[in-house]
Amino acid sequence: MAQCAQSVQEFVQDSFVPTVAVLCSADAERVTRRNNLSFPELLRPFCRLTSEGHLRDPNNLVVVVKGLRISVTGVNTQPLQPGEVRKLLSQAVSGCQPPEGLPANVVTAGDYDLNISATTPWFEAYRENFLQSMPASDHEFLNHYLACMLVVSSREAAPTEQFQRLSQEQHRVQHSGEYTHPKWFIPNTLKYYVLLHDISDGDEQRADSVYEDMKQRYGTQCCYLLKINSRAAAAGPAEQMPDPWSQYLQKSRAQSPVSPAVLSDALSESHPLELDQTSNLGYPGNPSVAVNSIDTSRKQGGLPASSTPVAHGACLTLNDHDRIRQFIQEFTFRGLLPHIEKNIRQLNDQLVSRKGLSRSLFSATKKWFGGGKVPEKSIAELKNTAGLLYPPEAPELQIRKMADLCFLVQHYELAYSCYHTAKKDFLSDQAMLYAAGALEMAAMSAFLQSGAPRPYPAHYMETAIQTYRDVCKNMVLAERCALFSAEVLKSQVKYSEAAALLIKMTSEDSDLRSALLLEQAAHCFINMRSPMVRKFAFHMILSGHRFSKAGQKRHALRCYCQAMQVYKGKGWTLAEDHINFTIGRQSFTLRQPENAIAAFRHILINDSKQVATQQSAFLREYLYVYKSVSQSSSDVTLPQLPLPCLHSAQTRVFFGHERRLAEGEKQAATHVWLDQEYDGEQAQLWAELEEQVVGVANKGSVPIGFQPTQYCLSCHTDNLRYPLAVVEEPIIVEVVFRNPLKVPLALAELSLLWKFTPKDFSRPPGGVPGEALSNEKEVTALNDIISTEVIPEFTIGPEETKVARLQLLPHKTGELQVLSVLYSLGTVEEDNGTTSRPTFVRGRQDLEIQGPRLNTTKEEKTSVRHGPDHRLDPVITPPMPLLEVFFINFPTGLLCGEIRKAWVEFVNVSAVPLTGLRVASTHPEFFTFGCAASDLTPVTPTASEHCSAYKTMATPPSVAATMLVSPAMFGVSGDDRPTVAEIPLVGGGLGPGEALQIPLWLRGPDREGVHEINFLFYYESVEKNANHRVLRHKAFICASRSLSVRATACHSNTLPRRGGAEEEGGSSMLVFVDVENINTSEAGVREFHIVQVSSSSRQWRLHTCINPTGDRDSRLASRERGKLCFRATRCRTQEGETHARKYTFADLNLGNEQIVSSTTPCADFFFRRGSPSEAQKGGVSVGGANHTRRQSLTPAGGADDGVTGVVQKCSEVELNIIVLWKAYVVEDNKQLILEGQLHVALQTVGKEACSVPQKEEAQEMVLLKFKPDQPPPVSRPTLEQLSRLIKTCLHYPESYDHPFPQKSLCMVPVTLTLSNCSLAQVDVIIDLRHKTTSPESLEVHGTFTWLGQTQYKLQLRPHEVQRLVLKACFFQAGVYNLGTPRVFAKMAQAGTMCETSQQSSMPALIVINSV
Amino acid sequence: MALVGSWLYNICLAVVCVVPTQNELKFHYTVHTSLDVVEEKVSAVGKALPDQRELYLGLLYPTEDYKVYGYVTNSKVKFVIVVDSSNTSLRDNEIRSMFRKLHSSFTDVMCNPFYNPGDTIQSKSFDSIVSAMMVQSS
Repeated sequence: MAQCAQSVQEFVQDSFVPTVAVLCSADAERVTRRNNLSFPELLRPFCRLTSEGHLRDPNNLVVVVKGLRISVTGVNTQPLQPGEVRKLLSQAVSGCQPPEGLPANVVTAGDYDLNISATTPWFEAYRENFLQSMPASDHEFLNHYLACMLVVSSREAAPTEQFQRLSQEQHRVQHSGEYTHPKWFIPNTLKYYVLLHDISDGDEQRADSVYEDMKQRYGTQCCYLLKINSRAAAAGPAEQMPDPWSQYLQKSRAQSPVSPAVLSDALSESHPLELDQTSNLGYPGNPSVAVNSIDTSRKQGGLPASSTPVAHGACLTLNDHDRIRQFIQEFTFRGLLPHIEKNIRQLNDQLVSRKGLSRSLFSATKKWFGGGKVPEKSIAELKNTAGLLYPPEAPELQIRKMADLCFLVQHYELAYSCYHTAKKDFLSDQAMLYAAGALEMAAMSAFLQSGAPRPYPAHYMETAIQTYRDVCKNMVLAERCALFSAEVLKSQVKYSEAAALLIKMTSEDSDLRSALLLEQAAHCFINMRSPMVRKFAFHMILSGHRFSKAGQKRHALRCYCQAMQVYKGKGWTLAEDHINFTIGRQSFTLRQPENAIAAFRHILINDSKQVATQQSAFLREYLYVYKSVSQSSSDVTLPQLPLPCLHSAQTRVFFGHERRLAEGEKQAATHVWLDQEYDGEQAQLWAELEEQVVGVANKGSVPIGFQPTQYCLSCHTDNLRYPLAVVEEPIIVEVVFRNPLKVPLALAELSLLWKFTPKDFSRPPGGVPGEALSNEKEVTALNDIISTEVIPEFTIGPEETKVARLQLLPHKTGELQVLSVLYSLGTVEEDNGTTSRPTFVRGRQDLEIQGPRLNTTKEEKTSVRHGPDHRLDPVITPPMPLLEVFFINFPTGLLCGEIRKAWVEFVNVSAVPLTGLRVASTHPEFFTFGCAASDLTPVTPTASEHCSAYKTMATPPSVAATMLVSPAMFGVSGDDRPTVAEIPLVGGGLGPGEALQIPLWLRGPDREGVHEINFLFYYESVEKNANHRVLRHKAFICASRSLSVRATACHSNTLPRRGGAEEEGGSSMLVFVDVENINTSEAGVREFHIVQVSSSSRQWRLHTCINPTGDRDSRLASRERGKLCFRATRCRTQEGETHARKYTFADLNLGNEQIVSSTTPCADFFFRRGSPSEAQKGGVSVGGANHTRRQSLTPAGGADDGVTGVVQKCSEVELNIIVLWKAYVVEDNKQLILEGQLHVALQTVGKEACSVPQKEEAQEMVLLKFKPDQPPPVSRPTLEQLSRLIKTCLHYPESYDHPFPQKSLCMVPVTLTLSNCSLAQVDVIIDLRHKTTSPESLEVHGTFTWLGQTQYKLQLRPHEVQRLVLKACFFQAGVYNLGTPRVFAKMAQAGTMCETSQQSSMPALIVINSV
Repeated sequence: MALVGSWLYNICLAVVCVVPTQNELKFHYTVHTSLDVVEEKVSAVGKALPDQRELYLGLLYPTEDYKVYGYVTNSKVKFVIVVDSSNTSLRDNEIRSMFRKLHSSFTDVMCNPFYNPGDTIQSKSFDSIVSAMMVQSS
């Protein structure tokens, strides 16, 4: 129970006070009326006595009466009808609201901190009014009139007669039995004669004389001359007087400040009968009585008294106040208290005298006779006795009367004993109503006894309440009893009992009472030693519910709000929703729409567990409330809407035009678009490409502040800087909406809200920025500055997440800030024939994006801080060039190595020229724009559709045509592949609106599969200091297998013929090219034709085709394999070092058309081929080193490295074979001819090279190594390599006829040609003595002997060829192998090395015929 | 019958009803209010020997239509079972064993490393155990 202003004792005492009736003459009434007051009202503020009174009890003990209050009312005041009581109480409660801004009481219980109003003044008001409106009852006398004041004005013509008449009147009212209502305590009521004198008006002497007369007639104790109105009314309000009446009258009369008139009307209307009575029937000819009624007086006084707060007591001075106070005191001490004392004595005497006889006899007989009767008494009978009425003079009532008197004068001890006795009597009589009353008062007086504290008999109260309620069916009395009891229990810190008591008193018959009591019970729970917060909350809700049923909306709202504090955020969603919903409704009806909206918001925002229908009801209610609010308020800023949820962090911003789709054959560059998901790797890749191209554009150095261009900003990108947007280019903002409800939502007129500060970037910086503009008032009002796109309709399904793309198009430069999303929210109306448009409300949701969490410094690590995010704050820059790229005839599938010619169109769609167009790609080997030297004939793409991509010349197949080409011509410098290519534009740039188509050659990747190829086009403005821009394109190419080319090179043993045109140094080589059709799609590709084989090398060139077969056009059907043999010769090297960098292209066409391989595109692709062989080469060398046999070589010295190089050079070839093919493909019953080229790089003699890159599966699993690798052994020339230093060749006649019979010895001249393959001087030892040791050879060949010198020592210069003429001697005919000479070679410089046996030449068989 | 696991801060973890839509709001209120009684009972037992405290609190209070039983684990997680007062088949012992079962399955949920303490429980096995228990008892 909440705290009260009064203490319990005060409260109880004030509730039971002596009541005094007033009977006033008409003249006297008129006197008081001058103050706008009736006589009882006049006295009311002074009814509390400030001094102590004394009286003696029957035992002659002095009883001190402290702070006594008396109640003075007009004799005719009627008890209110129950309906009026209800109305009065309800007005009392609604008129008393919690004060605004009062510091609320904070209760901390467990985890809860609750703001609770500490006091409940409305409850106290209710209680006071309730107790005042208690009807007088027969079973108790506490509010019966003890005395009656007879008031007569001194102006009366005959005051004494008037007193006489009033006295008779009083007697008639009390004793005639005509009136049931005013109940009188004792038959001989104290009459107190008051002569009212108006000082300003009347004759004072006359008044005094009348008073003297009265004193003589009625005795001094019963008379009083009250002089008032010492001030003329006309003096008016000049002097400010305290108005002690206002608080009393306000409370009693004008409870409801809103409509006091209504109240007074209601009161007067409900008393028509009474009015008639008073004026006509009740007191005929006595108008003075009638005036006592408040209502009548009000009627007479006119309405002003009620409608405007009239100053009361205008004619009274402070002296008058004192006089009145003194009058009351006099009345009480000299009139009332002695009267009471006298009566107590009388009653006591009566009782004592009767006690011995009648009462005991009475009870004895009762016991005597009643003993047998008791069991027969049924419940029904008992109930009957509840309504039992004692006659007024019954002895049981006398004792109760005495008790009441004692209680009124605060003699609680005596009162208790009397009540106790009375209770026993009543109980034995089964007079339940009386008993309950006695019990109640006994408990009260026990509680109030100050002396020997008797334990408070709570069970008395309980019994009393129960009896009142259940037996007597008198809820009013029960309620009074409960109120007292609860208050007492509260004062004794028995909160739970008090709560239980209060809760028990709630019932269906009065919502207001139930609500108030439940609220008090809730306060009891919270005030307990361990506060029961949840019970508090629950009862608050019950109370709020009852309040709302009782029409007390404000109180209901307050209750719900207080309960909300407990339920908030604890996961009790249903309860929370319910409370929020109620709060919303109540707030709305109380015209607090902001609160209503906030409450409804809560229901909708959180993930609601309600069913769909409930949610849609919530939503409709919310929209309705919202709409009525927004209509009423004229606020410029639109309010925030709760739905749908806006995922601000997922907002993406895109700068640029929407991507154009393919137009026919034209295929636009993919660029960047919102549909693409963010991919970190891709972004990294693009950033690297951009860095490369920027590096190239800036002549090798990347600017310090380089940042990759970002067209699409999302939560993944770095948004620390303000993004740049270009004027007249759209900005598209993608916002993500989520509908948390199970009902669809409709949004309308969706658009963006922005703020824009115009700024002219062409002026020097530091200028005053323009005024910030915003489209808040009208969405499209500022379309000349920034066009705002409006989406008219946007529906989100139940629990759906949907994106909306909103566009802005800036027309001026400056700084833009996208603030929020504007839209109208509505429900989706099911089509059930209703024509009403669903309600839409306008609102906004701000886009607040939190940057990434900072985590660098210590403070940032320990606290949660977020960086800025500027993705929604673009800077609008002056116009920049804008490039669009279209690809024409761009294939999606290619054979490996296939060459296709496509076209690319560059369009400058901006109004600014662009320049410096470059392209970077992840696959530079995939495409080429041709070399600068090649003539870019502006052939339209359609014209050249079916022509070959190659440049051809009609030449019959013959010896290879050669051409010397420098790689620099093709933009290749050094060994690295160029990733950035400059695009040759006519005039170096594109003017505004210009378009340019240039050819593009594509070559299918060597590896089969799907290839993702990224192009990054770079361009910049003509102006300096302007930023560059990029355009991205991503192409997917599906490569399918075509041909596999394997090539091997061998040293040819034949030495070039002497004197030949191609004679140079005598080195030649055989190249074997194996071509296999490995295409798997039999349906598509019918066959491959090898059209031409070209070579490209700095040292070697293909010379002639030495294919044994005449099959020139070398056709390869599926899975067929063909072999081609070529002879390669060394190029001329006499031109010197400058030509060393140049490549010799040699074309050997197999058909009648020669493809000029040294031009675009063949050479382009050759130079862009990349070098997959690099890795292979490394692998080989390592492998070779590993196989080095530790022979008797001395440890390698410093010179060995040079030797190694020289030796390795010897077997190196560095010959690139380009195989050009044509494929015949059937597609849609049409035959197509596709062309392509494959590259094979030959590096080592004897080592096979392949066009299809070998899959390096070995790399997949790399063993973890815990020990460092052993340093690779010092590379030294292997034996095999060393054995290839010298090429030997025997020249001799194939068969030799010799007449053995004539001459037994046959001498055959044989020439041994020694050719130094290396670039160093070589010492050679030729040993002829060596014999073949294998027995096999002995069998086959007979023996022969070399004649002459058997060992030669020679020194050969680099590439020198020497011939030795030897003689072989045969003894008989036969076949001999001449290949017996062993050749040992040694590098001339490497003195420490041994000679190595050189590879023996082929078996050289000679046939010796005998003739 | 309704059922609640309630974490340290009395945040509602789960409310399960036999008939989901029937008066669910009322159960929310009832169970929430019963936490006061639980707290009172727990504090009445005292803090002397928290380990040996009886977890089962017995009948918390009867309302007009329901009987409310409570159970508190050592980590102060509260279980509340609300039984129709007309249901006489469920005695104290049955209720106690129901709580035991509930506690063990709740422990299993807590042992799930992917469960965040304080979240609403979304476990199929827990749900099935609870609903089996409720079907059986009702």
